[in-house]
Amino acid sequence: MAKSRTHLYEGMYILSATLSEDARNKAIEKITSSIQHHAGEVHKIFEQGRKKLAYEIGKRKEGFYYIIYFSASSSSMPELWREYQLNEDLIRFMTLRAEEVPEKIEFKALVPTE
Amino acid sequence: MSKRTGDAVFGKRRKSCPFTAAGIKHIDYKDVDTLSQFITERGKIIPRRITGVSLRHQRMLAQAIKRARYMALLPFVASE
Repeated sequence: MAKSRTHLYEGMYILSATLSEDARNKAIEKITSSIQHHAGEVHKIFEQGRKKLAYEIGKRKEGFYYIIYFSASSSSMPELWREYQLNEDLIRFMTLRAEEVPEKIEFKALVPTE
Repeated sequence: MSKRTGDAVFGKRRKSCPFTAAGIKHIDYKDVDTLSQFITERGKIIPRRITGVSLRHQRMLAQAIKRARYMALLPFVASE
């Protein structure tokens, strides 16, 4: 019953802010190519830029945030996570199932009640 | 009954859920501006009896805040 289905995923990645722009592009390239290597398809990459981390992660105070929408088979996900864990430029990552690829990342503010 | 009297004595303070009012179906962990309205200065999640968030949305909110914390978008504990 090891059925593998293709799903749409949303991955958030924090890259080390100490990387040069070249190294950062290379690191992102590495992430996307590993998705493609596992027969996945990258739909959209959002560069969120350098952000201050809410707390220190391994002495790092800042990180470069990326959000990547991709589709991949569910069975390839554990392999991707393993690769991410071995990637030293990647401070943190999280992959979630997504419903759709948004045009852009923005949110409407809550209207004040009463 | 006693609750009614309480309302009568202390005045009606029934709050409606801000998420229901805005018609939000999904609370996203990336939406830090919204999420930070529902945490204290210390970084704790504010109980819904204070914010008036509906149970359904409070669950989504808690999940989103925890995800945002893991991605260092929000603090686990914040020092003043």
